Amino acid sequence: MSPRLLALWLKESIALLRDRHGLLALFIMPTIFILVMTMALRDAFTPGAAIDVSYVVVDLDRSVQSKALIKRLDKAASFRRQDNNSDPEAARHGILAGHQALALMLPPGFGERLLTPAGADGKPTEPLQLFIDPTLSPALQLAFRNQVMAALGALRADELTQRAGKLFGLPTTPGGSAEKDWPDEIRSTAVRSDRSVRLPSSVQQNVPAWLIFAMFFVVIPVSSIFIIERQQGTLQRLRAMGLPFRLILAGKLLPFFVVNQIQAVMMVLVGIFLVPLFGSEALEMPASLPLLVNWWAVSAAVSLAAVAWALLIASIAQTSEQATIVGGVGNVLMGAIGGIMVPKFVMPATMQKLAALSPMAWGLEGFHVVMLRHGSFADILPSLVQLLVFAALSLALAIWLNHRALAARS
Amino acid sequence: MLLIDGVSYRYRDAASAALQNISLNIPAAAVYGLLGPNGAGKTTLISLLAGLLTAGVGRISLNGQLLPAVRAADPRAIALVPQDYAFYPMLSVAENLRFFAGALGLNGAELKAQTNAAIAFGRLDQVVGKRAERLSGGLRRRLNLAIGLLGKPRLLLLDEPTVGVDPQSRHFLLDAIAALPATGTTVIYTSHYMEEVEAICQKIAIVDQGRLLAEGTLDSILQCPEPVLELHLAQPLPDAIAARYPAVATGGLKYRLKLPSTAALPLLLDELAATGCEVCDLNLGQHNLEQVFMRLTKRSLRD
Repeated sequence: MSPRLLALWLKESIALLRDRHGLLALFIMPTIFILVMTMALRDAFTPGAAIDVSYVVVDLDRSVQSKALIKRLDKAASFRRQDNNSDPEAARHGILAGHQALALMLPPGFGERLLTPAGADGKPTEPLQLFIDPTLSPALQLAFRNQVMAALGALRADELTQRAGKLFGLPTTPGGSAEKDWPDEIRSTAVRSDRSVRLPSSVQQNVPAWLIFAMFFVVIPVSSIFIIERQQGTLQRLRAMGLPFRLILAGKLLPFFVVNQIQAVMMVLVGIFLVPLFGSEALEMPASLPLLVNWWAVSAAVSLAAVAWALLIASIAQTSEQATIVGGVGNVLMGAIGGIMVPKFVMPATMQKLAALSPMAWGLEGFHVVMLRHGSFADILPSLVQLLVFAALSLALAIWLNHRALAARS
Repeated sequence: MLLIDGVSYRYRDAASAALQNISLNIPAAAVYGLLGPNGAGKTTLISLLAGLLTAGVGRISLNGQLLPAVRAADPRAIALVPQDYAFYPMLSVAENLRFFAGALGLNGAELKAQTNAAIAFGRLDQVVGKRAERLSGGLRRRLNLAIGLLGKPRLLLLDEPTVGVDPQSRHFLLDAIAALPATGTTVIYTSHYMEEVEAICQKIAIVDQGRLLAEGTLDSILQCPEPVLELHLAQPLPDAIAARYPAVATGGLKYRLKLPSTAALPLLLDELAATGCEVCDLNLGQHNLEQVFMRLTKRSLRD
């Protein structure tokens, strides 16, 4: 081992350990993000999870059919139904008082006229009424409406089958339509390469996402040390001592690579042990060794890209303030378009295309291939190649910028 | 011996050359002063010697060997102590010394010995565990200098090593630097402080706008070729005498007179005594460095 490289590594490590702000950005920030975002996005990743919006049904009919409709709505379980209310005015007041956001009113004669189109027998059919809190998001209003329509459609079909069955002697189950349990639900299943299991949880999306974000934040400590070296003439002194610039860069690459790997272990531990304490489910890591090696390969490639990017920013920036702004804003932008802050699947198609430009998205894709689809090394190779090419280009550009700066002085 | 022979240097896109045909002869194991106002070309020359720049024209050799060959044979032969505090503020004194020793390629017992020697040289033993950012200006200068000595260099380049230090630390630094030639180190010392250069340099060069204005031993540089007399009187100089020896008042009751020859001095003193004009102080034929510097550069320090 070269004593020069060893000295460079040791120096960089001590300097980093004494950089409180840098350590805060590298370790505390992502931990907080993982906890907060896992809580906040818990339901966004679970299809069919309960939506924290409640409603009441004002059943003025009290028939077998109205009860069957309520049972069907309960089965969907997306919106929370509060105890029934028999007074439309009380339901309106409940919305005004914020007790519930929606009230569905089933009119008298609802069951009786379930299969009678309005005016078919000369008598009007009173429609179902929906009272809505206007602050409720239009998407949720529509979702509830669709849910009621679906339940209503199913109820009508049931009723029709029941009556037609009786008429034509078809086999019908005893009892009313309310007791029937058709296999008409949709169960979502995530497709993985080795076995089929349920969809990823919020923690499985957030841990790799914020780990990548945190890894890219090495830009803060890397540039703060690098700029001190440049401004105080230390780089000049090292050059006069005969240290080539590539050795100085190599002296920075390894310590920060190690820091990134410590971050990876820490964030995984946060996902496994800390997140469950806050009520979310624990992070599931791949169980087999080849998958863990693939996971680490992605982590290593993200780290190389992050450190090389940090060295490039440090070479461009003239002051630590510039580095903090350029590096920090650059990271936030990469994170925003790369599906770190806002999951890619909620983005519109054009934004999803834009996300493909962010190195953070390449890293996240790699992690997802391993963690969610249990992909092979060949599956993560595209992500690895993208990240490593990005790292090589950033390093080459950093070295070129340094040579150009020297040439300008000479 | 360091020989700089006809060296010129022009920065890229610069209108004029930073150094023009500079030739210097720097004796081994001595302190050599490099004087010049800002922009004179001192730092360019130091950078050429440190290997940070490469001379386009001319050659520089140390004991007959060209500088790149010297560096290739012994990378620690030449050390630079930059004007800035070129070390790590977040590292302690000992950590800084260990790092730079390691960066020089030292390890094991040699690293320990050289680090200890540097601590002893800079009298830093009381502050080895203290972070560099918490040191006083004087201690920082001492650490900056001590780092330069870690590789036991044959040629030590000091760029303004006493800027911003208190008188005690300056005194200590000057004594320490003046003692270096005894250990076989040749020192090139640039400074704006004339009295420092006068105190420790055996030989000096004065450069301005990239040109060499004077080079030689301190005595030969300070030797005034013209019989100029400087007088400090107790009473104003009588007009008749002032007219006879073209006199210039230099402030207070101080005058500079041009004598036809040094032999004219006794007559002038007799004339002054006859008019009752008392002489407090006089100086003939020897200038101080600042006067020489001002005369040669024809301007004040541009600092």
